[in-house]
Amino acid sequence: MADTEVYLEKLSAFARILRMEGLSVSPRDTEDAAAILTRLGFEDRETVKTALMTVYAKSREEQLKFSSAFDGFFLSEEAIRAQARQRAEQERQRQEQMEQAGEELEQIGERVRLDERERQSYRELPQEARQKLQDFLNRYKGNVDRSPQLYSEFIHSVFAKTMMEQQMLLENAGVGAEELDPELGLLCRDIGAFRDTEIPKAIALIQNVARQINGELSAKRRGQGSSGKLDFRRTIRGSLSSGGSLHRLYFRKPRTRKRKLVILCDVSGSMVQFSEFALRFIQSLNQVAESSRTFLFSETIVEADPFQLQNMDRFRDTVRASGIYGRGTDLGLALRHLCDTRPPVLNQNTTLLILSDTKTVDTARALLWLQEAKRQSGKLLWLNPIPERNWKYIKSVGAVQSIVPMIPCSTLGELAAACRRL
Amino acid sequence: MTLDELKSRLDETSYVYDENMLTTLFVALTLGRPLLIEGAAGVGKTEVAKVMAHALGRDLVRLQCYEGLDESKALYEWNYQKQLLAIQVDQGREDKQELTKSLFSDAYLLERPLLKSIRSEQPVVLLIDEIDKADEEFEAFLLELLSETQVTIPEIGTIRAKTTPFVILTSNRARPLSEALRRRCAYMHIDYPDMDKELAILRKKLPHVDDRLAAQVALAVQKLRATEAILKKPSIAETLDWTAALDALGIAELTPEAIRKTAGFVLKNNEDLLTLAEEQQEHCGACQGHCHG
Repeated sequence: MADTEVYLEKLSAFARILRMEGLSVSPRDTEDAAAILTRLGFEDRETVKTALMTVYAKSREEQLKFSSAFDGFFLSEEAIRAQARQRAEQERQRQEQMEQAGEELEQIGERVRLDERERQSYRELPQEARQKLQDFLNRYKGNVDRSPQLYSEFIHSVFAKTMMEQQMLLENAGVGAEELDPELGLLCRDIGAFRDTEIPKAIALIQNVARQINGELSAKRRGQGSSGKLDFRRTIRGSLSSGGSLHRLYFRKPRTRKRKLVILCDVSGSMVQFSEFALRFIQSLNQVAESSRTFLFSETIVEADPFQLQNMDRFRDTVRASGIYGRGTDLGLALRHLCDTRPPVLNQNTTLLILSDTKTVDTARALLWLQEAKRQSGKLLWLNPIPERNWKYIKSVGAVQSIVPMIPCSTLGELAAACRRL
Repeated sequence: MTLDELKSRLDETSYVYDENMLTTLFVALTLGRPLLIEGAAGVGKTEVAKVMAHALGRDLVRLQCYEGLDESKALYEWNYQKQLLAIQVDQGREDKQELTKSLFSDAYLLERPLLKSIRSEQPVVLLIDEIDKADEEFEAFLLELLSETQVTIPEIGTIRAKTTPFVILTSNRARPLSEALRRRCAYMHIDYPDMDKELAILRKKLPHVDDRLAAQVALAVQKLRATEAILKKPSIAETLDWTAALDALGIAELTPEAIRKTAGFVLKNNEDLLTLAEEQQEHCGACQGHCHG
């Protein structure tokens, strides 16, 4: 029994780490894990890992999180030694780099006035980046010597920019997730940054996620309103098996009417990739709306043929054929067309969905027509492909947000979350 | 049962498994926890239950889930016809209370898979197949059975399990399952087999097929699964069907012609067959007819 207690202590600590990783771990899981370890022992690391994964991880996503948490917590002897060697080597390299960078700073210190924080950042730059800056400085050496006042600010700004770029590289989100699972990586990366080779994978991923959302929405719909009016037909039929005794009553489920969806889709230059992915998502969601109409706009507006939209592989050809590809954006004109068209496109049973980055000519006119569109439609939502952290820098985003609820959709993950809200 | 014992029993079946699967099955069996298996259609989830039943020498009780499945189909139902008949026969009986009591006894109870599995004298393997197809209400209904191995029938009361069944639930992830259900289960995910495992399956299931042909089929199936444009990826059963069909036709080499003739055994919709034909055309165009599939 002493063994079980030892395991319990270690496993409790491990369970805390798993909880921090977002896994829902109950005390019973830890008890079970301890019980299974007393049977299996610690001899084979892989067996222990699989056994604990079976107990603790409850989905594929949790298995991935578990795997990295386990590797971090239960280090193998080899891994501990390798880690120690690696740390010693890294520390040695860091010391060397700092010394070398210190010498370089002595040489360039007079030409570029770096404060202490910048000097520290410079020391931490990789060798290639420092070399690039040195080359740059040598190239402009003559100019700096001739007109130090004129060039020193310029040289200083180049140094600061390089150091900032290095920091931004470190902050690049989604890279770690991609290494762990390419599928999850694609879900949390900026849609605009997908490489051509990744697009088929992204499309397959959209289909997969859309299938799940359909399942969720369908289950949600079924769950809503369990009892409506009495279903006489089913009740009478059901009673035949018991000789006419109405032992079980059947009820009709109240029909939930789906809304009609009107999609206004910005296909101007930079928006076309996002619009394609967003439309693929929405087209795959048969649970979202009863019917949908899609309008494509840039400087002018055209209604997309629903039959052509069924084959999304030809979406870009469709956009090019419509003659609106690669132009500027006039949202005001597009909204005016939607509001003025007869018979009316918008009514209280429609959800108007706008896919755009809010950048348009004549913002004031666009906002005016946006208010009119909001008045005419039952629900209005805006999907914005610009990452939410950048919204505060764009004036038009703030203006639109004051009228319409805006959902960030810069990644496939966010797009999926938005589709759940439709 | 130890891990080695389970391994030797599984070795007696024709199922190809890896160490991870063995450990997972052992853990679930030892802890008496239901095992939730997720994975794409056709990777062999249902087969695990059949193999475990065989390996443990237990009966397999199967509940196939579908939309609208309720407790009358899954747990129990009263035999209404028999009850009505009993009422007619005992009309003159004075002790009405006794009659009512007797109407809700075992004699009038129709056991459905779940009840059967917990009232069995010998422990069984209970397979709840494609749980993602059932409604959320049914999922909630299963919780009592999975955590307490007991069910409650209003007219009788709580029925505790005579023996603990080894429960296996499978899901194709058509919809996410509730946290409550997941929490009560051990979890295993099965992927499509890699080349080596696929070949091992072919060798084990179709030992009479030429090794060269089996290797060619396994490679071709791996390529089909890796092709993004193929909508319905071939399952293991389809690989076996395809190999058996090729063997039955006396084909010893997987040539483009042989693939054309038998592609319907591995790809089951027209779009996929067209994609395959296009790819073959491109490939043959590139190597100018010198290839062998």
